[in-house]
Amino acid sequence: MSDVPVLRTEDLGKRYGSTWALRDCSLEIPAGSITALLGPNGAGKTTLLQLAVGLSRATTGQLEVLGLSPWADQETLLPRVGFVAQERPLHRSFTIAETLKLGRVLNTTWDDDLAVSRIESLGLRLSQTVGKLSGGQQAQVALTLALAKRPDLLLLDEPVASLDPLARREFLGTVMEAVAETGMGVILSSHIVADLERVCDHLVILSHARPLLVGPLDELVACHRLLIGPRTDPATVARVHAVIHESHTDRQSSLMVRANGHVYDTCWEQHEVGLEDVVLAYLGQRHGPAERVLEEAVR
Amino acid sequence: MIWVGWRQQRWETIVAAAILAAIAALLIPTGLSMLSSYNNDGLNSCAGALQGGACDAAARSFIHEFDGIGNLIAWFTLVPGIIGILLAAPFVTDLERGTYRLDWTQGITRRRWIAGKLGIAVVTAIVAAGVFIALVTWWRTPLVRVQGRMDNSVFDSEGIVAIGYALFALGLAAAIGAIWRRTVPALVSAFALYFAVRLFVDTWLRQRLVSPLHATWAVNGRGPSLDKAWILSQVPTDQHGHALSLTVLNCSKAAGATCNTAVPTKGAVQYFQTVYHPPSHFWPLQSVEFALFAGAAALLLGLAALWTARRVA
Amino acid sequence: MIEFHVETRSGVPTYLQIVQQVRRAVRLGVLRPGDQLPTVKDVVAGLAINPNTVLKAYRELDLEGVTEGRRGIGTFVREHVDALPQQDVKQLRTSLQKWVAHARAAGLDDEMIGALFADIVRPTTISSVAS
Repeated sequence: MSDVPVLRTEDLGKRYGSTWALRDCSLEIPAGSITALLGPNGAGKTTLLQLAVGLSRATTGQLEVLGLSPWADQETLLPRVGFVAQERPLHRSFTIAETLKLGRVLNTTWDDDLAVSRIESLGLRLSQTVGKLSGGQQAQVALTLALAKRPDLLLLDEPVASLDPLARREFLGTVMEAVAETGMGVILSSHIVADLERVCDHLVILSHARPLLVGPLDELVACHRLLIGPRTDPATVARVHAVIHESHTDRQSSLMVRANGHVYDTCWEQHEVGLEDVVLAYLGQRHGPAERVLEEAVR
Repeated sequence: MIWVGWRQQRWETIVAAAILAAIAALLIPTGLSMLSSYNNDGLNSCAGALQGGACDAAARSFIHEFDGIGNLIAWFTLVPGIIGILLAAPFVTDLERGTYRLDWTQGITRRRWIAGKLGIAVVTAIVAAGVFIALVTWWRTPLVRVQGRMDNSVFDSEGIVAIGYALFALGLAAAIGAIWRRTVPALVSAFALYFAVRLFVDTWLRQRLVSPLHATWAVNGRGPSLDKAWILSQVPTDQHGHALSLTVLNCSKAAGATCNTAVPTKGAVQYFQTVYHPPSHFWPLQSVEFALFAGAAALLLGLAALWTARRVA
Repeated sequence: MIEFHVETRSGVPTYLQIVQQVRRAVRLGVLRPGDQLPTVKDVVAGLAINPNTVLKAYRELDLEGVTEGRRGIGTFVREHVDALPQQDVKQLRTSLQKWVAHARAAGLDDEMIGALFADIVRPTTISSVAS
């Protein structure tokens, strides 16, 4: 595995008609990382993944995947990137064998033995029709298709949405197993925070078409704090630390901050937070700077 | 991609084959019986002009016997179009269901995918239309010998135009489907448009594709050979070919001989002008109509391809 | 073969949970010297966690001297690790079973037994973690 970042964007933007599905996206994801792409529906997760795999073309900005341009170098890049689209599309009338044949025929690099052994280890028969499989099984077949080309990067767009917890666990287990074997990078989008917490070491939070937070997951979560104290104006705190989210009752204030060093202010009770709290705080920003700018642009 | 395209079209190909098989099942027995009738009635030897006597009577009874089924078969002219539209379904369904995202992120470019899928549909449509034409043309051979093939309801399943119809319908469904991306509405509206265009061509445009012949001839003289021709209009005229006014016509028709003589030189129905396409216009008309439909098909398929390549994510 | 369990909400980092589970297994004799730990691949396939977490745990165990990694083969429990003698563990087990039987006979339900036990155990646990 080389050191080339898995994904690198600079002011990346995509517009459909008059709506921006993604904008001002500048981020870098290092090689070999497993990245969570989090955000509500319509935040731009699918857009970013589709741009990365060359399904759509950027309106503005630059995008490099494994050092290549997805639109211009598509034929060189596709063998190295595995992709499972949202709702894991498969041809329902095909058998599993025919689905694998499709992969073999349409791909330049293809490990058929790997594909067949994966299917067998899932307890599936090649003669089964895809449309008759359960959701979890279909997800595994789609994943097999993506893994059998031995990619350097795996992009998964909400792969486990609408799957039961067991199927989710098995699917992610398969992905992790493949990562342990090959060291490939993974970018997976989801809104199930618990799954991502176990699996990911990198984080990208998108909301309203913009990235809000990007970086190594453990570090980011560790530098956020929940401050609880008597009702005050957060201005003093805001001078040093980034206040992500604030809520007040008549007696009490709670602030979610991204700490810039230690929080010395003793009137605040400090609590460590988990990933879910951080994500909710960022996504719940009602009058955050990003939101305001967006509202003005729309007007 | 060839295998992928074929496999994705499997169901539609089977349905098309079944339709053709059903048509064959209807046509072959009736066709054979018609052929034997034709031979037994001695119409074989009448081939050519049917004026007068036994031949005329035999021809009339033959036509009377098989005209009913002939009219039924005439409706089959919609079949190539239906097959064409059907063959666009795999392309549109892939776009509707999002499974194209699976195919496009394997290793081929979207251009190859589009070319493969549409290409296979085109080939299948041509073959199916060819089989259809072969079946119907074979079946109609005796009738054509008696009546010719210039009549509107016969023309469009003879020759090569049906191939153009199939391709046009395919292109229409593919283009609408590429833009709309919902299979059932796209196919239904494609059929409606196809039907409208066919109706328009059949009833108005076809006769104008090649300049028809005009012949003015005296009533008791020898007219042009209208045997097996497609007569567009035949009106009473004066000797210069100008149509007669109604009063003159009424007089001529109503009072019979008396009126005839009462109105002197001008007025009597003495001349007819016929506007018609002789049988020799068959291939020119076929070629122009085919070119129109095939050309439109090419444009529509190109639109479907370009739209999908540029606009879809 | 040991099977790991991970609680993401416990506040204890995942890699540390694995380290603790291995240590505990070795002490209780569930893992004996020379036993192989599950491969990183197998652990993450079953638990759906990041492979780096397991690697970190195994590295930690290696540093602590509990295990050793053999290139290309796997991770194995080291020879001289202080495990409790099996006899002692067995004896403790039996006496605990007797005690529980006594407690039940005295009319204590499971919850009270648990509370009593926790009350005794807690002071000792804190001091052992601190050291």
